[in-house]
Amino acid sequence: MASVTASSVSFAFLSAPTKQSQGLARGLVSLPVKAKSFGPLKLRNAPLRFRVSCAAKPETVEKVCEIVKKQLALPPTTEVSGESKFAALGADSLDTVEIVMGLEEEFGISVEEESAQTIATVQDAADLIEKLCEKKE
Amino acid sequence: MRMQCLDTKFFTSSTSLAPIQLPSRMETHLWYVIPNEVKSEQLLNKYLEFLPKSEKERVFSMRGDELQKGALLARALVRTTIARYQTNQVSPRSLKFRKNIHGKPEVDWQQIEDWHPQQLHFNISHTESLVACGVTTHNPIGIDIEEKERKIKHSISSFAKRYFSQQEVQLLSSISDPEIQRQEFIKLWTLKEAYVKALGRGFSGSPFKTFTIRSVAASKEGIHLSESSSSENSDIVVESLEDSANHTGDWRFALLELAGSHYAAICSKNHPMKMSVWRTIPLVEDEYVSGTDSVIAVGGLM
Repeated sequence: MASVTASSVSFAFLSAPTKQSQGLARGLVSLPVKAKSFGPLKLRNAPLRFRVSCAAKPETVEKVCEIVKKQLALPPTTEVSGESKFAALGADSLDTVEIVMGLEEEFGISVEEESAQTIATVQDAADLIEKLCEKKE
Repeated sequence: MRMQCLDTKFFTSSTSLAPIQLPSRMETHLWYVIPNEVKSEQLLNKYLEFLPKSEKERVFSMRGDELQKGALLARALVRTTIARYQTNQVSPRSLKFRKNIHGKPEVDWQQIEDWHPQQLHFNISHTESLVACGVTTHNPIGIDIEEKERKIKHSISSFAKRYFSQQEVQLLSSISDPEIQRQEFIKLWTLKEAYVKALGRGFSGSPFKTFTIRSVAASKEGIHLSESSSSENSDIVVESLEDSANHTGDWRFALLELAGSHYAAICSKNHPMKMSVWRTIPLVEDEYVSGTDSVIAVGGLM
């Protein structure tokens, strides 16, 4: 479980002895500092948004993960899920527009700039894709 | 190999930031950090101390050590840079930031006693290998940097057709050499990003397709680099394809090759845009690099 409590932390990439507790997990799924539990139902850092429609199918999420991994050239072992934030994975603005383009090509949809700007996580992208796919039918 | 030892003439006290005067209305300041030059864990921890809890959380939410270091340096650079311009003792820690109505970050001056440079504007951009912060007064600034060697996954032609204006698509497709086309594409991308960031309305507030950026023969003012003899004889201008009330003639652009490795686009309304550029390791050293090989003016586009 990730926690940031001390004001000083050792950076793993400098190979220095760790002063922070062993529980500091870096490079894994980010959890909010105040999370009381972890498991399938995670608290989100982002403000709650109410969705009328159901969340996207797992296959859609999976496909988005693939496209993101490819665009960002992430090692295949990288854990990418619905919760993953593009920015946290290292996507800059050029990556993000390429990802949107990749999603448009893969799913045969057209994403407006306003919608593209609201996509922060893989789940956001998957939900938007399903919404746009529904509109097509 | 950069020198970080005591006898370099650029050395400043290791515990403080060299103060500096605010840029005038006709100047733009640009500060950059090369992450590979920052190796000391002690120094990184000092930077970490400048961040409030929320920013620390965001740094550690980045996936991987290099991304975390980049995120930390970006926050440290913006905080230490702005703190330099104060006339009394404002610590980088005490700065508060907020977002404007469209999400563009700005300083929340109300939170700081005795210092109200309402007119100080900044903008950050970073890649894996460079972090930059631009500063102006009186008018907003937008900057964008990209690695010169950046390659995109899609073909330039399909990307441009999807996102750029018709004139820009035509310009890029007229370039037959693929490598030169790629370079011009990256330069154009940084210019468009810098413009949108200067406007501060977000990607959807100024869709890329709705404006064209191109270079034209020089006006009398041109693009000025401090002491530079290599500035090109062309201006870079933006034309809005939608909103004729956009006053696009007010915007000025500078396009640079930075540190030999990046294209940097800077956009603001200040003119003539006299650029001053520093390579820095905050708290350790500052090197004024305008007029050196680290800052090369790239004129307009081909």
